[in-house]
Amino acid sequence: MATKRNAIGILMGVELVLNGANVNLVAFSHYTTLGIDGQIYSLFVIVLAAAEAAVALAIALNFYNNHLTIDVDRANRLKG
Amino acid sequence: MNGDSLFFTLFAFMACLGAVAVVVSQRMVRMAFWLIISLGSTAALFFLIDADFLGAAQLLIYVGGTLVLLVFAVMLTSSGPYLNIETSPGEIVMAAMLGLLFLFMVVSSQTGIDWNGTNQQMAAANGMTGEISTFDSGSEGNTLRTIGMSLLGLRPDRGAAETGQLHTGYLLPFEIVSVHLLVVLIGAAYLARAKRRRDT
Amino acid sequence: MVGETLIPTLLTIAWLLPLLGFAVEMLYGRKGERTTTKWPAWCAVACIGTGFLCSLIALLTWGQATGWAVLESHDLHGPDQHHSEDDPHHHGDSPKHQASTNESGWQMTALTATENSDDAEHVPFPSVYSGTLYTLGVFGSLVVSIDYYIDSLTLVMFTMVTLIATCIHLFAMGYMSDELTNEYVDHFAHTSDGKHVHRPGRFYRFFAYMSLFCFSMLGLVLAGNIFQVFVFWELVGICSYLLIGFYTERKSAGDAANKAFIMNRIGDFGFLIGLMVVWTWFGTFQFSELFDSLPRDATGHIVTNDLGEVAVSTHSGESRSIPYSLLVVAGLGVFAGCIGKSAQFPLQTWLPDAMEGPTPVSALVHSATMVAAGVYLVGRFYPMFVPEVLLTIAYIGAITLFLAATIAVVATDIKRVLAYSTISQLGYMMLGLGVFGWAAGLFHLITHAFFKSLMFLCSGSVIHGCHHEQEMPKMGGLMRKMPITAGTMLIGVIAISGLAVPGLIAFSGYHSKDAIVATALAFIQANPAHFLLFLLPLLTAGITAFYMFRLWFYTFFGEPRDQHIYDHAHESPWIMTAPLLVLAVFAAGCAIGGEKGMLYMMLLGSEPVHVANGVPAATVGELVLPGHSAIHDVHAKAGMWALLAAISGTLLAYVLYGTKTVNLSDMKRQLAGIHQFLSEKWYFDELYHALFMKPVHQVAALFAWIDRTMIDRVVHASAGLMVKISKWDRFFDETFVDGLVNLIARATFSSGILLKAVQTGRLRQYVMFIVVGVVALFAVLFTTFPN
Repeated sequence: MATKRNAIGILMGVELVLNGANVNLVAFSHYTTLGIDGQIYSLFVIVLAAAEAAVALAIALNFYNNHLTIDVDRANRLKG
Repeated sequence: MNGDSLFFTLFAFMACLGAVAVVVSQRMVRMAFWLIISLGSTAALFFLIDADFLGAAQLLIYVGGTLVLLVFAVMLTSSGPYLNIETSPGEIVMAAMLGLLFLFMVVSSQTGIDWNGTNQQMAAANGMTGEISTFDSGSEGNTLRTIGMSLLGLRPDRGAAETGQLHTGYLLPFEIVSVHLLVVLIGAAYLARAKRRRDT
Repeated sequence: MVGETLIPTLLTIAWLLPLLGFAVEMLYGRKGERTTTKWPAWCAVACIGTGFLCSLIALLTWGQATGWAVLESHDLHGPDQHHSEDDPHHHGDSPKHQASTNESGWQMTALTATENSDDAEHVPFPSVYSGTLYTLGVFGSLVVSIDYYIDSLTLVMFTMVTLIATCIHLFAMGYMSDELTNEYVDHFAHTSDGKHVHRPGRFYRFFAYMSLFCFSMLGLVLAGNIFQVFVFWELVGICSYLLIGFYTERKSAGDAANKAFIMNRIGDFGFLIGLMVVWTWFGTFQFSELFDSLPRDATGHIVTNDLGEVAVSTHSGESRSIPYSLLVVAGLGVFAGCIGKSAQFPLQTWLPDAMEGPTPVSALVHSATMVAAGVYLVGRFYPMFVPEVLLTIAYIGAITLFLAATIAVVATDIKRVLAYSTISQLGYMMLGLGVFGWAAGLFHLITHAFFKSLMFLCSGSVIHGCHHEQEMPKMGGLMRKMPITAGTMLIGVIAISGLAVPGLIAFSGYHSKDAIVATALAFIQANPAHFLLFLLPLLTAGITAFYMFRLWFYTFFGEPRDQHIYDHAHESPWIMTAPLLVLAVFAAGCAIGGEKGMLYMMLLGSEPVHVANGVPAATVGELVLPGHSAIHDVHAKAGMWALLAAISGTLLAYVLYGTKTVNLSDMKRQLAGIHQFLSEKWYFDELYHALFMKPVHQVAALFAWIDRTMIDRVVHASAGLMVKISKWDRFFDETFVDGLVNLIARATFSSGILLKAVQTGRLRQYVMFIVVGVVALFAVLFTTFPN
């Protein structure tokens, strides 16, 4: 995530991070007494990740339409 | 080494390999491919850990849905399939150092915690006494019903079905997530819609 | 009975139609176009004309429903209808009474031949229809509602008002036709640079105001409670104000309108006091309830107990005692309103100035109807007046009629002569009412309305024909140019003068004035101390004839004095002369039959019950109020005196103005003192100026001085103090408050400059910051809580 200049690459990184967290949650839920709480949390995470992916892709498309590139370093108009 | 361990090792390795490859690769299509490998392996790990529903959901939503979306985005936004936007080496080094630092932190915290004691404390906090069992072996590999009940606000895994007593369920988060999805759907459609030229 | 619903309905329609007309004329039509079309006039005529038809039908329905009992019962049975105790003398007097009035040559049988007198006997006599049209609100026990109170007086008034109004509307269509333009040039109004005022015509507005006035006047007549009367009283006042000030560009018109309105306010203040007394002590405004609640004994006296209080049973059933003095106050208060409205002494000065309005307005508002409303109210409220109030009314009327007549003798403006004549005649009516001649006063009201509106319209025709010349000394000999106007005017002049050939021919004014003079004579025979109440009207009868014939001779007779005006004079178009002819017929014939005539009998049908027999004095020194029989005893004598006075006045006028035997300017020089005194209207305007205006101005000047020297100084000092405080405050603001604010702003700005560096716009860096943050957080956690 920190090495990509490509917007979609960053998005993939985010997915990976969320996925890692999922693995953690499921594993903890399996090896403790918390029952299926962890699984349900991961379920929500998956759903939210999907939602986030949809919105982020829409944003990326818009960005591409406006700048004809998806290089996020070009999105610096609000830079201080 | 039994089959479970073998498969765990295999899939864990593949997941890590995919993740590292996604990071290292500089081309979008390859990144997408390695992401599939990584996410699929994670799904397999879920199956191994008896979270069958979650694994299925992972496959369906991530591998099946999100990645397709990503691939679509790659195709829509690049002039060629081998789009390559270079990152400066300094940044890569910097990111790698930070990543390693984070890894070190996670590993150190993992090893620094007394898992058994924590487990007992948590059980006490949840009002469970006596023998602390891990997962009920009878229901292993069949979490579908349990998850469904939980989402409706019942907790069969804590014996609520017998006593009729309500425990902390997930009905409200479920509703919130569903509304959230709807909002996201509309928002994404609005953002990505084809722009009409405004003549006025 | 069919009349109970039909008559109120008809009169309500007649009442409300002009309001509809007003709304239509005021609002409908496009600007620019409606100034040049005649339809607003036709609309107004249609409304008031329909009103006249409704009134006439109502009158006939009323007659049919009562079997014309009003005409018969008074002829044969007199006061039996009202009084259970029969006056023994009355029947004895009846034949003589008939004989004395039959000289007018008119037979009752002509009207009553078709009626079965037995039937008429048995028909219950519905003298009054009263009821409520709409209740506006109920405040505790006070009910404010729109009521109607219909008796024969109401019907006669309705018919008279609508008939005259219709004629005058038609006349006004001709008279006001020069307003039918977008560029009206007002020759009497000047702008500041001395040019004539140019403005769009106001034809439609004139008729809208006229319609509003008709609505208000009819509402006043129809009103069933004294409060409603008050409301419409003010409405006719505002219409009068609008119409007097119709030519708003003329300063004189604006001043006259203000004067009329303010003078009326003075009277209305008294009216309000009267209303308060009535409401506080009687608890109702309704005429029908008020009249029933005042107890009278068999002789007509108001019953008082030992303390001088009057026991009254209010409409809610309880009885209470009212101090007698409060009855006097209530009566005087209501009469004060009538003084203002009817331009009686001492509030008479507004009416002559009101002649600034267009002549049809003078005819309708300021002679026939509105000013007569005061007389009408006195008549309507008559049962509530105690003898002391009646005496006041009589004296006010006597003073007014003499004073106004003397001024009319020297006035030269044709309309002003008529205005003073109006005041004088209104004085006659008041006098008649005051000396217990209820029907006589109202009789004169009706006849006067006809002949005075006729004369005003004639003068309007003259003014129109002479291109707005109103000074009589510039006229003369107009008979040859405008024969119809001259002829109808002569009829009016004869009518008002009271000339007649007894037994052969007599115009309306003769009968009504006779009735008043006869009542006055009967009154002073019973109360010799008040002999002035007979002498003044008798003398004035002569003066009236004198000044009216002076006017006629001046205007129409002899040689033209101003050749230019004479050459350009012309007879008015038919739309103006036709109303003159109609009104002339009524002026001559409306009172036909005199006191046996239909009109008088109709009025007599509404006479308050205690009037017919008169009221004898209860104690020595009290007033004796003459009854019918006493009046009839002296009728012939009084009539002869009045006729003599009128004839001598006429002859004097002929000698002075009809022939050239006397040099008028010589006479004027010899009588310069009196002439000056009369020309200046007895110096009333000057008197009021000195009495009221000057003190007010002086007091105002005093207060202005106090304002300038004392209050202003305090205000200025506090203002200076405020300025000093503000200066200090400004200093504080600029240094401390602004400094603080600027400091915060500068700190924020510089910190923003510092933090700007962090905002690189690079996503990857942000991600790294997150990671560093998380790691740092964990590091802190693990170092703080090692386990």
